[in-house]
Amino acid sequence: MRNILAIAKKEMTVYLTTPWAWIVFTFVSFVSSFFFIGLLVQFKQAHEQIRLMQGGWEQVGAEAQFLRNLTDGVVMPLYSTMLVVLLFVVPFLSARLFAEERRQKTFELLMTAPVTSTEIVLGKYLGGLVIIGATVSVTLVYPLVLAMFGSSFSATTSEKTATLEWVTVLLGFGALVLFGATVLAIGSFVSSLTESVIVAGLITFAVCLVWMIVKIVAPNADEPWRSVLDHLAFDVQLRNPMRGVFELKPLVFFSSVIATFLVLTHRSVESRRWV
Amino acid sequence: MAMIEVERLTKKYRERVAIDALTFQIQEGKIVGFLGPNGAGKSTTMKILTGFMPATEGKARVAGFDVFEKPLEAKRQIGYLPETPPLYPELTVRGFLKFVAELKGVPRGQVKSEIDRVAKGTGITSELDRLNSALSKGYRQRVGIAQALIGNPKLLILDEPTEGLDPRQRAEVLQLIKGLAGQHTVVLSTHILAEVKTICEQVLIIHRGKIVADESMANLTGGRENGLEEKFIQLTAT
Ligand SMILES: Nc1ncnc2c1ncn2[C@@H]1O[C@H](COP(=O)(O)OP(=O)(O)OP(=O)(O)O)[C@@H](O)[C@H]1O
Ligand SMILES: [Mg+2]
Repeated sequence: MRNILAIAKKEMTVYLTTPWAWIVFTFVSFVSSFFFIGLLVQFKQAHEQIRLMQGGWEQVGAEAQFLRNLTDGVVMPLYSTMLVVLLFVVPFLSARLFAEERRQKTFELLMTAPVTSTEIVLGKYLGGLVIIGATVSVTLVYPLVLAMFGSSFSATTSEKTATLEWVTVLLGFGALVLFGATVLAIGSFVSSLTESVIVAGLITFAVCLVWMIVKIVAPNADEPWRSVLDHLAFDVQLRNPMRGVFELKPLVFFSSVIATFLVLTHRSVESRRWV
Repeated sequence: MAMIEVERLTKKYRERVAIDALTFQIQEGKIVGFLGPNGAGKSTTMKILTGFMPATEGKARVAGFDVFEKPLEAKRQIGYLPETPPLYPELTVRGFLKFVAELKGVPRGQVKSEIDRVAKGTGITSELDRLNSALSKGYRQRVGIAQALIGNPKLLILDEPTEGLDPRQRAEVLQLIKGLAGQHTVVLSTHILAEVKTICEQVLIIHRGKIVADESMANLTGGRENGLEEKFIQLTAT
C-alpha cells in the first residue's frame, strides 16, 4: 500500500509541477464557463418567452420541456458537454503515464525497485485519477452558483423551477467521474504500449471517440451487431445517468471496462516487450 | 558465501545473441570490475541481474534468491545504477531520493537521515533542492549513484558509475566505492582500466557475450605495471 501511495504521489507531483495539469484545469474552466453562460442565457430567454405566452409551459412541446427547471435546463446539458471535453482532456493526461517513463529511461528504476507490477499500475492509475477528479470537480462550481443565485435566473419564479435537484446533479457528476476513470484506464494501457506520448494520446482519443459514438459510426449495423453495439457504446450507457436515472447497469459496465484495461496494462508491464 | 551466482545465462535480442551462456560467481564483500569492449554485453547482464528484464535461458541468483522466481526478495538486496541515470526531470533531487527511499521501504522516520547520508557520500548536498532537469551531467550521475546507495543495499550494481564525472569527483566516487568493500559487494562496469586497478579485487572480462577472464587482479596482471591493459587487449582482440 505504501508503494502504491508513493507512486501515486509521484505522479501527482509530476502533473502539478509541469504544465500538464494546469493546462487541463484552465481549459476545462474556460470551456465549461463558456457553455454555462450560453446555457443560462438560453434558459432565461425561454422563461421570458413563456411568461408572455398564455397557458405557460402547457403550450410548449415535449422537446423543450427540459428547459422548465435549472437542473434539466442548465446543469445536465452542461455535464453532457463536459463528457465531450473529458474525451479530449483525459487522453492528454493519461498519455505520459508509462510512455514518458520509457522515454526518460526512468522505467528501469521502477522495474528494479522492490515493488510489484500491480503496485506500479495501481499507483499510476490512482495518481491520474486524483488529477481527473480535481478536473471534474471544477464543474461542481456551476450547480453551487445556481443553488445560491438560481432564483434570479428564472423569470417564472416558482420554487420548483429555481431549486436544484441535487440527486440528479450528483448522479451526473458521478457519471462524469466514472467516464473519466474509464478513459484513463484505456489511456494507461495505450501508454504502456508505446514510447511516444503523442502517439499514446492520439490513439487513446481515437479509440474512445469511436467507442463513444459507435452508433453513428455504424448506423446500419445488422443484428446481432446492433444489440451488441447498443450495449457497449459509451453514449448509450451514459444516457440514463445523465438524465438523472440511477441504474446499476452503467456502473457495472464502466467498472468492468476499467478493470479489464487495468489488467491489460498489468500484462503489458509484465511482459516487458520493449527490452 | 556467493552474493551472485550465474549459470549459463543467455540473452537474445531477437536473433542477436547479446550474452551467451555466462557462468560466474561473485563472493560477498568483493569489489568486482566488469570489463569488456562496447557491445560486449555488460549492461545486458546487469539488467538481467537487477530484474529489469528476463533472460532467454539460464539461472541467476542474488544473495541466494533466484531473480526470476523471487524477484522482490532479490531486488531488496540490490542498489542499481543503470547506464542512463533514471532521474525524473520534474522532481527535485530531494523529492526524487525520497521517492526512491519509499519504494525501497526505508522506514518513515529514517528517510530524512538516509537522504542526508547518501547526499553527503556523493557530494550533492548543495544540489538537493534543485530540479533534476537543471543538473549538469556529472551531477546527474552522482544523483544516480546516491539513489543506488539508498537503503544501504548489500549488493551494488553500477553501470559505468564514473562516466561523465570530473577528475576530482571520479577519485571521490572511487574512494566511496572502495570504502564499501567488506560490508557490501560491488559490481561495476567501466572502460577506464586505471580505475579498476585502484579498487577492484576481482576482474571479469567479457567479450562478444562470453567470459574471457574471471580472475583476481593479482593473477590477471601477473604483477606487471601494464598487465591489465595488455591482458584486456589480448583477450578482446578477435
Ligand atoms: N534493446 C536492444 N535491442 C537489440 N539489441 C540490443 C539491445 N540492447 C543491447 N543490444 C545488443 O546487445 C549487445 C550487448 O549490449 P550491451 O548494452 O549489453 O553492451 P555493453 O557491454 O554494455 O556495451 P557498452 O560498453 O557500449 O555499454 C550489443 O550487441 C547490442 O547491440
Ligand atoms: Mg553498457
